[in-house]
Amino acid sequence: MTTTQKLPAIRGVHNAPLEEFYTSGHRTCQGCESALVMKLMIKAAGPRTVVLGSTGCMYVANTTYYSTPWVVPWMHTQLGSSGSAATGAAAGLKALMKKGKMKEEPINVISFCGDGGGADMGLSAISASLTHPEYNHLVLMYDNESYANTDIQVSGSSPWGAHTSFSPPGKARRIMHDRWKKNTAAMLAHGHPKSRYIATGCASYAVDLLNKVRRALTLGGPTFIHSFDPCPKGWDYDPRYSHELGMLAVETGLWVQWEIEDGVLRYSGPSRMIAIGRRKRKPIVEYLKRQGRFAHFTEEDIAYFQSQVDEIWEKWGTPGVSSVKLDLKGDRA
Amino acid sequence: MTTYAVEVVYRGIFQRTLSRNICRGIVLAAHKGGKIGTAFGRYGDSPERNGIPAKYFAVVADDQLELEESLAKYEPKEVDVTICVDDTLCKGVESWAWYGLQPINALTKEGGALLVTSKQAADALLEDIHRKGMPYRLAIVSGPASFSGLWVYKDDHTDVRILGALARVCPGLVSMEAYEQVIQEIWSNEAKVRSARRSYDQTRVRPVEPAEGNTSVPFSFTKPGWTQMREALTIVGVPQGAGFRGGQGGFQPARSEVFKKFSTRTMRPIVNFQTCTKCTLCWLQCPDSCFDVTPDGRYDANLEACCGCGVCADVCPVADCVTMVNEAHFNDNSSQYDWFQRDKDGYLRWLTETVAQQKGEQRSHGFHHWGQYKEEIAAAAAASEAGHDN
Repeated sequence: MTTTQKLPAIRGVHNAPLEEFYTSGHRTCQGCESALVMKLMIKAAGPRTVVLGSTGCMYVANTTYYSTPWVVPWMHTQLGSSGSAATGAAAGLKALMKKGKMKEEPINVISFCGDGGGADMGLSAISASLTHPEYNHLVLMYDNESYANTDIQVSGSSPWGAHTSFSPPGKARRIMHDRWKKNTAAMLAHGHPKSRYIATGCASYAVDLLNKVRRALTLGGPTFIHSFDPCPKGWDYDPRYSHELGMLAVETGLWVQWEIEDGVLRYSGPSRMIAIGRRKRKPIVEYLKRQGRFAHFTEEDIAYFQSQVDEIWEKWGTPGVSSVKLDLKGDRA
Repeated sequence: MTTYAVEVVYRGIFQRTLSRNICRGIVLAAHKGGKIGTAFGRYGDSPERNGIPAKYFAVVADDQLELEESLAKYEPKEVDVTICVDDTLCKGVESWAWYGLQPINALTKEGGALLVTSKQAADALLEDIHRKGMPYRLAIVSGPASFSGLWVYKDDHTDVRILGALARVCPGLVSMEAYEQVIQEIWSNEAKVRSARRSYDQTRVRPVEPAEGNTSVPFSFTKPGWTQMREALTIVGVPQGAGFRGGQGGFQPARSEVFKKFSTRTMRPIVNFQTCTKCTLCWLQCPDSCFDVTPDGRYDANLEACCGCGVCADVCPVADCVTMVNEAHFNDNSSQYDWFQRDKDGYLRWLTETVAQQKGEQRSHGFHHWGQYKEEIAAAAAASEAGHDN
């Protein structure tokens, strides 16, 4: 493995670097949490970084009409190929350095994708990229729970019952989206032993996210971070509450923050407090009632949603991460 | 042979349903009068973003051929009526496609009309509206800007009040009777019909002289032709920022020269630099990197870059340190920190007064909790009964 940049952990908000490498002038919504993820991601990584972005809000809103807010080099890649672009860019840099065409230095490679690009169509390419320990790259999936750029079509990450362009609640049928997949990072962590670092994060916990990006880049090899991004457009709420909704998702236990480094799982922030029993989860209705996409919910729907959150904390083998439980009692047959 | 074109300039997502209802109402009512028409959103505004100005058009013609002729254009080059459903858009419109800042009346015809929903008087609005250089008419539908989100619509009758006012300012397009018929058909709601009629009766039209209006030059830039663009359409990145105002301390990011985003703002943060505890949260949590870091560790909202989302006010732990106030009351984007440095007492006095005055008139920026719109509409109806509004 080639060397990586050693990026020390940031202790407290006052030590966050002042420099911005993703600046003003992006065409995102007011209060866009995914834009904040971009800003924090590159603030953590620093100027010697190459960023690749697959199609989605953070491509279209940032780099159309011959302008950009990026300070560092950035390149677009296709919707499903954030993983392969990451591997390719890392391999390309390595080859150029090996041939002496570039100065030998550790350069961070970060490839981002939305939940459509990552949890849906790009999953196989990300999986492939995580099997290449010889290349250093981070894939960051910013998850705003829909195909938000093209006006909120349902994605694999959209929560149960949410109103999207593809799942409008009607009179005859209220719940039009009844699938549930919210565990992309854990899914990837379990099948890719060569990846040294996989984590979940949320920009409402900015220092935690900054440090997770730094840890991933410092450890090197293929790494993955899944961030949870409140989306004022698709979730239908006043943009000033983006930060608060991110916190509510964690405090209700819906979004679990953790990191797996070299096979060891640690919860972070409020999720850790919940896991060790020092903090009670807030009722999920606190989170649901703040969003127009759940405005059609009945008491029954709220109860079902709550039961799904309870399940990941109370019934799973590893709360919030793995539903698998161990049974050594013997053969079922 | 007459073709009428109407544009609705609105806040992306927040007023999408509203503007669609207006344009749809126009076209359906035109059908009642034996005309033909179509309503469509501007392609360049899609995908829409919360708050970023966008446009919807309604084009009405006497017959099919005439309509097709009008629609062969990408968008109407001039319109009979410009409807502006949020008065802060009167300062100019920077849509997210490649336009720079356009005056709100850029497409309004000579002798045409500009119809604005506002609680301001015409003279105050004309401080914001750019000088047109030709006569046109200004009409105001009195009331706050109606905002709601993508899924839950706040049905406070703004849509039909606009239609009623439109019958007044542009009688040749569609008659009031046709609007009333269509409103009844779409919503089956007598109260909405009454709201439209009341608006029709109350709307007054004020002529605007060619020399009236804001004389400042809207921000623009030179678009490179395709032959001037770089190989493989690569774009030059933004330069790395430097110290505050180019000095040693603090940090001021370099920013995009061609997309500024300030016309997205309907509220602006005002900062109390004295009670600020330098906690960093407004700066760190700002999705638009709009805060310049001063050498003494304070945070100055750069109002060329701020889009007014309000996250800073929400994360600030100090009461009234960052407050969102109505953008309509301001006429410039100058630095609050510079003012504070020049005249601490004067700035703080202004700040205290402004915060006290404006706390009550916070604009609604969409959904906060289930049932909120019902509460707001009921409160507005009660105020209307008491005669505070029309």
